[in-house]
Amino acid sequence: MNRTVSITINGEVYEESVPIRMLLVDFIRDVCGLTGTHVACTYEGVCGACTVHLDGEAVKACLMLAVQADEHSVTTIEGLAPDGDLHPLQKSFNDHHALQCGFCTAGILMNAAEFLKVNRNPTEAEIRAALVGNLCRCTGYAHIVDAIKDAAGRNA
Amino acid sequence: MYPAVIESYVAPKTVQEALNALAAHGDDAHFIAGGQSLMQAIKSRLVSPKCLVDLQHVAELKGVWSDDGGLRIGAMTRYREIATAVPLAGAYEALRDAASHVGDRQVRNRGTIGGSLCWNYLAACTPAACIGIGASVELLDSKGKRRTLSAEEFLRGPLETARQHDEILLSVLLPRAAVKTGSAYKKWGLVTDALPVVGVCALVELAEDGRCRRARLAVGGLASGPRRATAGEERLAGLKPSDAEGIGAAADAAAAATDVQSDMWADQNYRKTLIAALAREVIATAFARAG
Repeated sequence: MNRTVSITINGEVYEESVPIRMLLVDFIRDVCGLTGTHVACTYEGVCGACTVHLDGEAVKACLMLAVQADEHSVTTIEGLAPDGDLHPLQKSFNDHHALQCGFCTAGILMNAAEFLKVNRNPTEAEIRAALVGNLCRCTGYAHIVDAIKDAAGRNA
Repeated sequence: MYPAVIESYVAPKTVQEALNALAAHGDDAHFIAGGQSLMQAIKSRLVSPKCLVDLQHVAELKGVWSDDGGLRIGAMTRYREIATAVPLAGAYEALRDAASHVGDRQVRNRGTIGGSLCWNYLAACTPAACIGIGASVELLDSKGKRRTLSAEEFLRGPLETARQHDEILLSVLLPRAAVKTGSAYKKWGLVTDALPVVGVCALVELAEDGRCRRARLAVGGLASGPRRATAGEERLAGLKPSDAEGIGAAADAAAAATDVQSDMWADQNYRKTLIAALAREVIATAFARAG
C-alpha cells in the first residue's frame, strides 16, 4: 500500500514511494535522514518534539501522514538557519541556557519561530500559552521563556 | 502507537469528488479533516479505515462567510482561523473562546471545526459551544440530498453523531443574531488548555430595556454527550446583566439539572461545582459582550 509523494523539505525535493501509514515524522527522519526532528512521546501527539513547519506553520509531524504532506513544503530544524548563521532563537537559547538535555529543543525552536512571526512582541503570558504543546522535562521553562522574549526583541 | 496498514488514500479537490471517493470505498473509508483526533484514533485502533479520503484540498469547505441564513463556517475551517475570526465577535464569540484554547497552537494550526463536530469527543469544546450558540450543521449525501440539523440534533453521545456514512458535513450555520447578543465559553481542565473536564457555553440576547430576552446554556464533558441546560436558561429570562444573584441562581439551576458522571478527573459533586462556577463566569461575560 505504497504511494509516491513529492515533499519539499528545507528547499530540497524528496520524491519517494512510501507506505500510506507512514507518519510524516518518520519520513523526515528515516527516509530523508533528517534526524534533528525528534520523537519523544511515541507518536502520541503530546510532546511537540516533532514540531516542523508545514507551509510555514508549526505542526506536529507525528499527527499526520507523509502522504498528507504530498506537494507541500516542510521546514525542519535543519532548515532554520539555512545560511549557517544561527537563527535569533538559536542564539538566545544559547545565551539564556534554555536547554539542558536538548531533546525537546528542536520542536520548541520550530514552534517558537512561527509563533514570533505571528506575534512579534509577545507578553510573557502569551509566550507561556504558546508553549503549551511542547514538553520540556529538564529546564522548567523559565529560561526558555526568557530566551523567546529576548529573541522577539532581536526581531526573530 | 502506530497506524495499521492503510490500503488507499485519496485527496479530492471538490465535495462531489470527496463523496464519490467515499462511496467507492464503502464502509472501510473514512474522511480525514485536520486529523488531530483521528490520527490518534487510527493509531490506537479505535478506528481502522482501509481508505482515507483527505479533505485538505476541498476549497469550498474552508472559510467564514455570510449568506441569507446568517454566518457560515466551512467544515474545514481551522481553529487557528476561528480563534481570530472577526465576524464571530460579540454574538458568537463563544466559538472563538473555544477555538483559541483547543489543544495547543500546533493542533490549532491543523484541527478543524467540522472534524471536531463529526468526531464529537466527550472532552471537546466545539460541540458544547455550537449547541450553546444555537448553531446548525449542513450535510450533503452522495445522491445530492442536503439536510440541515441543529447542533443538538446532530451531536449525540460521545463519538456519535447523526451523520450517515455517505454524508459530508459542509458547514456550520450561525443564524443572524439580534443586535444585542453576546456569548462566551469556558472550560476547566487539569492543566492549561487541557481537554475539558467540563466546558460551559452561554448566549444571551438583550431586549430594548436591557433585560435578557433569550438565553441558551450548554454543557460539555458529559458521558451523555454535550447537552443544553434549559433549567438555567429559564432562570435567565428577564434578568438584568447586573443581577449577580439571579445569574448565580441560573448557574446553580443549570448545574443541578445536569446529569453528570464521576470519573478519575472529577466526581459528581465536583463536576456540578465546576458547571455552576463556569456558568456564572460565561453568563457574565456573555452579558458584557451583548451590551
